[in-house]
Amino acid sequence: MDDYPILEMKNIQKAFPGVLANDNISLEIRRGEVHALLGENGAGKTTLMNILFGIYHPDHGEILINGKKTFIHSPQDAINEKIGMVQQHFALVPSFTVAENVILGLKNFGFIIKTKQVEQQIKELGERYSLPVRPKARVWTLSVGERQRIEILKLLYTGANILILDEPTAVLTPQETRQLFSAIRKLVKEGSSVIFISHKLDEVLEISDRISVLRNGKNTGTLNREEVDRRTLVQRMVGRDVLMDQEKPKVEPGPVKIEVKDLTVKNDKGLTAVNNLSLEIHGGEILGIAGVAGNGQKELAEAIYGLRPIETGKIQMAGEDLHHRSIKKRIQSGLSFIPQDRKSIATCPNLSVMFNIFMKNTIPGLKKSSAWNIQIKQMHEKTRELIRNFSISTPSSKTRVRYLSGGNLQKVVLARELSSNPSVIIAEHPTRGLDIGAMEFVYQALLEEKKKGSAILLLAGELYEIFRLSDRVAVIYEGEVMGYTPPDPSYTEKIGFMMAGTREDSIHEN
Amino acid sequence: MKKLLFVLAILLFVASLSVAATRVAFVYVSPVGDGGYTFMHDQGRLYLEEALGEDVVVDIIESVPEGAEAESVFRGYAQRGYDIIFGTSFGYMDSMVKVSKQFPKTIFMHCSGYKTTDNMGVYFGRMYQPRFLSGLVAGAMTKSNIIGYVAAYPIPEVIRGINAFALGVSYVNPEAKIHVVWSNTWFDPTLEKDAAISLLDIGADVIAQHQDSAAPQQAAEERGVMSIGYNSDMSAFAPNAFLAAPIWAWGPYYVKAVQDVQNGTWTNEPYWGGIEDELVDIVMSDLVPAGVANLVYAMRESIIKNQFHPFQGPIYDQDGNLRYAEGEMASDEELLSMDWFVSNVVGRLQ
Amino acid sequence: MKIKIEKRLNTPRYLSLVVPVVSIFAALLIMFVILTIFFMGRIGSFQGAFSETVSAYKELITWPFFNQYGLYSTISKMVPLAFVALGLSFAYKMKIWNIGGEGQLYMGALAATWAALFVFRGITSPILLITLVAIFSAIAGALWALIPALMKAYAKTDEIVVTLMLNYVAIFWVDYLVYGPWRDPKGFGFPGTAAFPEPAMLPTFFDGNVHIGIFIAIAFAILLQYIDVKTQWGFNSRIVGDNKKAATYSGIKVKKYTIISLVVSGAIAGLGGGVQMMGMQHRLMHGFSPGYGYTAIIIAWLAKLNPIAVIFVSFLFGGLLVGNDQLQMFYKLPISLISIFQGLVLFCLLGGEAIAAYRLKIEKAEEVPANE
Repeated sequence: MDDYPILEMKNIQKAFPGVLANDNISLEIRRGEVHALLGENGAGKTTLMNILFGIYHPDHGEILINGKKTFIHSPQDAINEKIGMVQQHFALVPSFTVAENVILGLKNFGFIIKTKQVEQQIKELGERYSLPVRPKARVWTLSVGERQRIEILKLLYTGANILILDEPTAVLTPQETRQLFSAIRKLVKEGSSVIFISHKLDEVLEISDRISVLRNGKNTGTLNREEVDRRTLVQRMVGRDVLMDQEKPKVEPGPVKIEVKDLTVKNDKGLTAVNNLSLEIHGGEILGIAGVAGNGQKELAEAIYGLRPIETGKIQMAGEDLHHRSIKKRIQSGLSFIPQDRKSIATCPNLSVMFNIFMKNTIPGLKKSSAWNIQIKQMHEKTRELIRNFSISTPSSKTRVRYLSGGNLQKVVLARELSSNPSVIIAEHPTRGLDIGAMEFVYQALLEEKKKGSAILLLAGELYEIFRLSDRVAVIYEGEVMGYTPPDPSYTEKIGFMMAGTREDSIHEN
Repeated sequence: MKKLLFVLAILLFVASLSVAATRVAFVYVSPVGDGGYTFMHDQGRLYLEEALGEDVVVDIIESVPEGAEAESVFRGYAQRGYDIIFGTSFGYMDSMVKVSKQFPKTIFMHCSGYKTTDNMGVYFGRMYQPRFLSGLVAGAMTKSNIIGYVAAYPIPEVIRGINAFALGVSYVNPEAKIHVVWSNTWFDPTLEKDAAISLLDIGADVIAQHQDSAAPQQAAEERGVMSIGYNSDMSAFAPNAFLAAPIWAWGPYYVKAVQDVQNGTWTNEPYWGGIEDELVDIVMSDLVPAGVANLVYAMRESIIKNQFHPFQGPIYDQDGNLRYAEGEMASDEELLSMDWFVSNVVGRLQ
Repeated sequence: MKIKIEKRLNTPRYLSLVVPVVSIFAALLIMFVILTIFFMGRIGSFQGAFSETVSAYKELITWPFFNQYGLYSTISKMVPLAFVALGLSFAYKMKIWNIGGEGQLYMGALAATWAALFVFRGITSPILLITLVAIFSAIAGALWALIPALMKAYAKTDEIVVTLMLNYVAIFWVDYLVYGPWRDPKGFGFPGTAAFPEPAMLPTFFDGNVHIGIFIAIAFAILLQYIDVKTQWGFNSRIVGDNKKAATYSGIKVKKYTIISLVVSGAIAGLGGGVQMMGMQHRLMHGFSPGYGYTAIIIAWLAKLNPIAVIFVSFLFGGLLVGNDQLQMFYKLPISLISIFQGLVLFCLLGGEAIAAYRLKIEKAEEVPANE
């Protein structure tokens, strides 16, 4: 590793509607290093790399390669600058052979294709970097790990010496991961630089030379591997100094309202996301789930609500098994869900506030309304009442919710989810993207429900939020509960260890 | 209100002016540019305008779909006080019957149908006569003894034509067979060409047709074999293939029908004109040898003089049943409802 | 100061009325120029051509809408259009793109014929027979739409392709029957079934010129409007239409809604086929619909899927078709010019919709666009 920076990104800024994805990020990559980009989902890692690879264009900032200012307008420009990227989704033609896929990736593969020659070169490249592939095999016959090797070989074949690997281990088995790591080590030894994107602490600590931690679109700083441990990384990832500024209302816990037993759920890729997880929540209690994003929180929430099938295990509400209950039945028996993705799941953007309030048809307090004669007028009246109660800032109950700000949209969701006297509430990142005022409103609303005796499952990234609201904290890692702590900042270190995958009972030995 | 009266007055004035000329309308099922059936009717319409000049005002409408769509067109003409409306497609029948009852002062003339009312008559031509004659040409010219016939719809008009053609063929060449393929179209060049090609593929060396497009002629031209057209002289489309065609000549009849209305001598008596009335005829190209042409002319004369009828016994059907014994002749009713094939036709009535 | 074209955030209400009116006006204006040029070729003088065009335009408007007989024709033409468009808008509300109105219309007509000529032969009570025939036609349309519905719900096929393909299957079914087993034995072999018995014909008024199908269509429009604004179904269907994920999250069974909306959509179109048989055609014939099912797509779209508006737009479209016939009949316009005109109307309507999605914004130079 040299100290000489082969690549510099300076003051990169990139905004998407409603989000500042990259906020003045600077990053420096040296020749022959593995540089990890660490951060939660949505921290801005992928956006930054897409800018480097020419897929997005930054609003501000510049990119220097070998000290020379360079404009990268397209992936082709990036390839010309010897930058290569392996995306999370591979771009291979399944019916072609390995060699043919490599040829496809070349800028111009000429009129006469020397397949034999390419096959030989691929074989040699593979042996040199311990990336064994069979050049003549058809891609569809290969495992995910093999496909990834082909993607990397494609880059090497085009001569790339800065390789971006976006969450390369997410789809790999432990053995394949080990193989990948040994290849990465050989690559940097030969002078290439690797940018390794991940949110898995162990891997980052194992492979990286230097680590940059992104949070909320900012680079919190680049650290040498020797300088850091898990705890500092977790603190930097999760951010915000934890403050305890307000008292929680004391509520005598009631009977168990929801119980999850040995639950296993798969994610969209078919991998196990929630692994044999058990928990229970009493009435008047808030259970906070802490964990690095992407460790099964979303799948747990969706499985309880009924949006995601469960593999094994049991979910019980007030002693009754929910297994064969439709979402409608679950809603009717008092289950509320505040999803993280309020725009695409929790609301209908082109419909009015009234429609969104009555979307689940569970708001009590309407006189004589039947399926064949719904009382639109009353529904608007009730909506106006809720608009006042939840201080939603909207011109009227007829305004389409897509014109509302994030905070007001979340208030619409809260108004709906909390006005139906829920007995169990699942709140998934209920304050993400909100300003301080709206956040405080959400906190108060949830605490109010707690006082009324609801059982609340709070899934949040911010430890502050968990300490602020919860009665107990459970730490989740790869779909398993690592252990429980009281909601107190003095446990931050312990929580950090558990978030990184250490079990509560083995912490003392560390 | 004053304005309205003024407009009404002008309308009445215009109406009174047009009393002198007979107002005639033609309703066509396809575009006049089809080069076939509708084209020949429109030729008749031009002949009518030419012949009666100032005495008639003629309007036309093309591409009127059969069925309910046609009803509003007929009603539109009738309500404007047109004196005589010609509908030239079989499928207009129900609509014309219905509208004719609502407008007793207008005369409706329906081509090829069989329903009449007090003010609705039917007219058609004995196309089977020239079809028989074209069969003579085909039968004399074929070498493979396989003759292809691209048929339109399995309705009596078409079946009658095929049978007359087949009888003409067998008159000169008892060995030859007529192979029938249905296109179920009146005008669809692509489909009709494909149908002709399927016949050429089984070895047909003469192609006859009933549709309005010249596509079957062109298919024959491309394969270097012979063809029998329909409606008009189609030699321009297939100069090296076209032998003959049974053709329509509506002009004189249209003049007569309009004059009957003008003179108050019109009746709803069905009219079925033949070669003798100059309503139908045959045209032949130079490719037909003189001997064959002379035979055709001779047979044409006998038909005109009523010495010969194409449907005169003995006639057997496909199953070998004797339909008409020696000396027997098909009646007009039988011809108008024909639903069987004569013995030398290969193919099925769908 | 500079002028900027930008996408509208929301479309003001008045635009949904202004756009079609302005578009049709624009189409008429362009056609006016084309017609004047056409007539100049015929008449020779500009003045003559101009006044001929003006009178043609008078014809186009007065006959279909202000003349007694023209109105009869307009109303007769609008009935099948209205039925199919009502059916289609019901599915389109949920963003389920049923292109199969034509096929469902055909299957409805087929079932109506089967019921009237074969199944219920001998029933003499008109009310009973008409009701039974109507029910048969609606069921046939519903079953025909059930095929793409099940395929969409359970095999995730694209309903656009399936419904479109089934149109051809339906037309071929009808052709097979009218050329084959159902051909009227007394029909001289013409491809058509026998006429419906007297009790299976819809009552008419205005001297037999208009049948009561128009009232059935209006009644259905009112019913559908009620379902849309006053029932849980209508409420939920908007949620499904706007965001299927949110609908699932709300406990709405999206599959069930998909299937029912397509089936009801097909039933209404099928009923349209039955009404057209009982009221107008009185016999099943080859090609009895000159593409009502496709014109209805445009009508549903122009009516913004509002059932009441569908009735009015169908009326306008029926009138436009009748008026076009008039231009051909009395101004000797070739059919190709009429096709140009119809194409222009569509082009202007769609273009108008597209343009209305944008607006001109005049902004002062020193203003810096806010970064939202």
